[in-house]
Amino acid sequence: MVGLDVVLQALLSGLFMGSVYALIAIGFTLVFGVTDIVNFAHGHLVMAAMFVTYVLFKLAGLDPYLSLVVVLPLFFGIGALLYVLVIQRIVDAPHSAHMMVTLGVLLLLENLANLLFGGDLRGVTTRYTTSSLVVGPVAVPLARAGAAVVSLLAVGALAVFLRRTALGKAIRAAANNREGAALVGVDVPRVYLISFSLGTMAAALAGAVIVPFSLVSPFVGHEFILKAFVIAVLGGLGSVGGALAGGLLIGFVEALSSLYISASLGNAIVFAILIAVLLYRPWGIFGQAKV
Amino acid sequence: MSALLSVHGVSKRFGGLQALSNVTFGVGHREIVGVIGPNGAGKTTLFNVITGVYAPDGGRVTLGGMDVTGWAPHRICRLGAARTFQIGKPFAALTVLQTVRIGSLNRIADMAGATTHALGVLEQVGLAAKRDVEGRHLTVIERKCLELARALATGPSLLLLDEVAAGLRPPEIQEMIALVRRIAAGGVSVLIIEHVLEAVMRLSARIVVLNYGEVIAEGSPESLVNDPRVIEAYLGEAYSLA
Amino acid sequence: MSARLALGLAALAAAAAAPLVAGQHLLTAFIVALHAAYMALAWNVAAGYAGQFSLGHSLFYGIGAYASTMLYLKLGLTPWAGMFAGAGLAGLVGVALALGVYRYNVRGIFFALVTLGAAEVAKGLADNWDWIKGPVGILLTMKSAPGEFFFLRREPYYYVALAMVVALILISLRLERSRLGQHFLAVREDEAAAEASGVDTQRAKTVAIGLSAALTAFAGSFYAQFYLYISPDTVLVFEPQLTMMLGTMVGGAGTALGPVLGSVLFSGLGEALRNLPFENTRPVVIGSKLVYAILLIVILIYLPGGLVTLGRRSRPA
Repeated sequence: MVGLDVVLQALLSGLFMGSVYALIAIGFTLVFGVTDIVNFAHGHLVMAAMFVTYVLFKLAGLDPYLSLVVVLPLFFGIGALLYVLVIQRIVDAPHSAHMMVTLGVLLLLENLANLLFGGDLRGVTTRYTTSSLVVGPVAVPLARAGAAVVSLLAVGALAVFLRRTALGKAIRAAANNREGAALVGVDVPRVYLISFSLGTMAAALAGAVIVPFSLVSPFVGHEFILKAFVIAVLGGLGSVGGALAGGLLIGFVEALSSLYISASLGNAIVFAILIAVLLYRPWGIFGQAKV
Repeated sequence: MSALLSVHGVSKRFGGLQALSNVTFGVGHREIVGVIGPNGAGKTTLFNVITGVYAPDGGRVTLGGMDVTGWAPHRICRLGAARTFQIGKPFAALTVLQTVRIGSLNRIADMAGATTHALGVLEQVGLAAKRDVEGRHLTVIERKCLELARALATGPSLLLLDEVAAGLRPPEIQEMIALVRRIAAGGVSVLIIEHVLEAVMRLSARIVVLNYGEVIAEGSPESLVNDPRVIEAYLGEAYSLA
Repeated sequence: MSARLALGLAALAAAAAAPLVAGQHLLTAFIVALHAAYMALAWNVAAGYAGQFSLGHSLFYGIGAYASTMLYLKLGLTPWAGMFAGAGLAGLVGVALALGVYRYNVRGIFFALVTLGAAEVAKGLADNWDWIKGPVGILLTMKSAPGEFFFLRREPYYYVALAMVVALILISLRLERSRLGQHFLAVREDEAAAEASGVDTQRAKTVAIGLSAALTAFAGSFYAQFYLYISPDTVLVFEPQLTMMLGTMVGGAGTALGPVLGSVLFSGLGEALRNLPFENTRPVVIGSKLVYAILLIVILIYLPGGLVTLGRRSRPA
């Protein structure tokens, strides 16, 4: 029998990681919702940001949270560059082309990182990497809590942006109905560019804030994209709110299942759920069926 | 006369929209029947129900005496009802010959026989010269002819044509009318949805008028021209002669 | 004799003669390339001809590898026969998957994700299944026994791989000229129009997946007998899937030659580079993968039909 405090600790851990997963998934689902493109390289963009953050720390002693000043605009730019050079040219291509081209980007990023840094696992140790705040029966790991807080703030900011600003509304319009939006004067290519860059920036934010407590290697991207898939589908592809709910759900499921069963079995269960959702409720657990 | 196609009390609803309501009519052997009505009247939905794309919520569809209600489209095609699509669906990467041959393979199992048959159909519709052109490179009228050829190649006893004259210039419309007449003369019944009234008036022995999913009139082209219900459906109450 | 047939026979003759001049290292590179070509051709049956873009073919690869291996270890069944059993099992699994998926009308990216999920589930289960030794994997220790699909030298493996590729090329060509193959193409191009033309699209898609799955399983068995070590981390991961896809899409999906072309280019060259007489080949190997990634992107954007389309231009009316 597992004690209550252990369960609480796991739930807390699930909440923290779930928030980060939600941020990663939101960047992914935003791009899909707007441009209809499944970016297989999304997880590797997280990895790339982790490496940039790592380098800034090792070379300049810059704390990951401080390095966001550099990382966020840098990756907005990288997203824009990626869009203009590659993504833009396949927007109207069939889904199979999207998958293959973004797989190409994945391979590019992975091998670039592998070439520059090698395959060894690296870590960053900040002052707060191992610090915890004891609150009642649980210990709150500061690094993870910080990552979660930043992630949730970012999700909130994104939600406000999409609902309240003119550009945000234009993005939602284009996601909803491309031709209709164009007819009412929305600059659809620009909206696509900005959405993709925002999605990339969201991935980078997640990558930077998990560095204090994560292992950095060229191959961590795979795990992130798989989670992003599952969460985006659970929440309804294109739904920001759904991705948040889905991220937290996956965070909890992962944390709780690690208490009772092996990680790989937990993984299998998560994908079995994915299959079930795709078969019975493809619009997501939290989405709405379209007639 | 026993009907080839019998639609009886067919209804279909999509969410809040009643697309078809108690639709009943028939198509006899060697008959050309037209279906007209304003946009959104349910004409294409009717075709989709007859050919098995949707199962109706109520009612029955009978083809050649068999109840085919809710059958999968390929089975209905096997039984002898072939349809064209309103927005032409060429197999983009396949050649004209390959496309029509897919239809021929419905009745003919071996490739050589199917190829010969397909070439014959292409001759009939006038596309023989374009046999090796890929679907994506065809003009509008060529696509229409290809749609027709593909459906014809399946060896139907009933051909359902969905707006086959739409988007054509006047001389092309005449060509299409002549082509449909030739096909019907060969023993195939035709059910034709059309907005181009000239085409449907000249081809049909009988016309069914749909509005808001209901049959509001049925009869010969001449009798319907002055039918107040038809006029009202197309032009609105202000123009009603009643 | 047509020019194409003559060219094909010449290529076959050259390929058959290769072991006479190539050393063991080079032959290994050739074997890897042929293995990749075979896998790509197998995936091409479902994805290239029938348009069923599966991301989970590693599942079938893994079934083939484990089936022939376990049958050998537990029952002493020679892998020559075991691989057929593996193919049969993979085919059944493929059909079962297809029946489930097509019943719910799952298509496009959703279909791809279901297949990916299935492969991930299989890996997770395999990692926890003690009977197949879980994540530790299975090491095959075999006495030199041609009758049990094991050889000490590379040449026999080379000829087996070559035979597999030739056989699958011939099967693909036969498929292209058959009614079933035409049905695959119709399903790929437009399912609604195919149905309206009398094609049983559910059946066609199911057969495509089942056939492709069975063919892929043979590759898994070959892998087991060549590398003599299998584990969930080697045969149930995304790597085999990636190999199949890259070769097919770069070379040209929906053709018999494309997957071979693309695979020989990517896998063969990569393996050859790995065997160069350099002190430290690592940067070269990774650098070449980097170049491939860029090449992949460029080819897929500007030559979406793959390398095979370089030879021909589609004729407009």
